[in-house]
Amino acid sequence: MFKKFTHEEVSGQNQVKSSVQRKIRQSIADQYPLLEPVLDDLLPKKEPLIVAKCQNHLNLVVINNVPLFFNIRDGPYMPTLRLLHQYPTVMKRVRVDRGAIKFVLSGANIMCPGLTSKGGALEDEVDAEQPVAIHAEGKELALAIGMTKMSTGDIAKINKGIGVDNIHYLNDGLWKTLHLD
Amino acid sequence: MAHDKLQPQTVLYCGVCGLPPEFCEFGPDFEKCKPWLIKNAPGAYPELTKKAADEAEAKLGDLRLGGEDGADGEASTSKPEDEIVKKLPGGKVKRKEKQEILVEKATRNKRKAITTVKGMELFGVKLGDASKKFGKKFASGSSVVKGPTEKEQIDVQGDFLYDICEFITETWKEIPESAIYVMEDGKRKVPYADA
Repeated sequence: MFKKFTHEEVSGQNQVKSSVQRKIRQSIADQYPLLEPVLDDLLPKKEPLIVAKCQNHLNLVVINNVPLFFNIRDGPYMPTLRLLHQYPTVMKRVRVDRGAIKFVLSGANIMCPGLTSKGGALEDEVDAEQPVAIHAEGKELALAIGMTKMSTGDIAKINKGIGVDNIHYLNDGLWKTLHLD
Repeated sequence: MAHDKLQPQTVLYCGVCGLPPEFCEFGPDFEKCKPWLIKNAPGAYPELTKKAADEAEAKLGDLRLGGEDGADGEASTSKPEDEIVKKLPGGKVKRKEKQEILVEKATRNKRKAITTVKGMELFGVKLGDASKKFGKKFASGSSVVKGPTEKEQIDVQGDFLYDICEFITETWKEIPESAIYVMEDGKRKVPYADA
C-alpha cells in the first residue's frame, strides 16, 4: 500500500470542519478504546486537524505536519507505525514467525502458515477485515500494520493463503514520511 | 488500565536506517547499522555486540581496544556511499544526434499530466499523422508543438508514459524498441526496453 508513498501522492490537504474532526476522533476512539484517554494529547483540540487526501482513496490524519492516522476508502482508521510504537498496546496483534519478517518488510502480505507456525501466534481473537498490528517472533515492536482477510479462527483452520493484508510496514513510504508540508 | 493514562513510550530508532534497532538486521544495510547499534543500542543485539567485539578482536589481534577501532571503521565506510550518489546524474549530452525517441511526462496542475514525444521526425514519421493517431488511441488532446530549439514535438494530454511506447512500436514497425527512451518528471532517462 505504502511501498512507494511520496509527497507527490498527496493531492490535497484540508483543514477539516470541527464536525468532521469529531467524527474522526470518535471513530478512532471506538476502534481503539485504549487510546481514548490520550486522544486529547494526540489530537489536541486547539491544533488544526488536517486531512491529507492521497491517491488510491487514502486519507491521512495530520497534526502539526505529522501524519498520525490513515484510512482507506472510509475504512477504519489505523495509526502509523511510529505512533503504534509509542502506544503498542492499543491494537490487536498477531505474530509472525521469524522467517516471514524479511518478506513482510518488503511489503508481502501475511500468509496464514506464517501465523500458525511455531514462531507465529494469534494472540487476540480478531474478526475479518479488522486492522491488526503485526509483530514478529522475538521482536518487541510491531513491524507492520495490516487488515485481516479472515478471522483468526479461520486463519488457524484454513491455514492457507493470505491471512492479513499488509498495509503499512517498517521502512515503507509512509514510514519515511516524517513530515508532511 | 483505563484510569491509568497510557504513557507514550519513547522508541529508539536507528540513526543509520531509521528502523527500530531490533529490525536493523532486516533493514536495507545491516552492516552499516552495526557500528551505530553497538554504540547506541547495545541492548538490542547482545549477540551482535559480542560478535562485533569478537570480530574486531580476531581481525586486529588487539584485545579490548575493539570498541574504538570499530568507530574508526564506521567513518571510513560511510564515505564511498556518497561518491556513488554523485555519479548518477549527467550523461545526457551525447545522445542528441542519435536516432531516438524521447518520451517525457510532465505534471501540470498536480494530477494532470502531459506526455511529450520528441524525435519522431527522425524516423520519417509525419508528426501531424502521428499526433492524430495518438489522439485517437488515447482519446485525448494531442498536438504538434514547437518545442525548445525550434524542434517539433508531440504533446498528448494525460499520462501515457508507458502505453505510448508500446503504441509507437506497434504502429510504426520501423522504430525499434531500443530507440525509445523514457523520462519521468525530468528525473532520469531510461531505455524503454528496460522499463
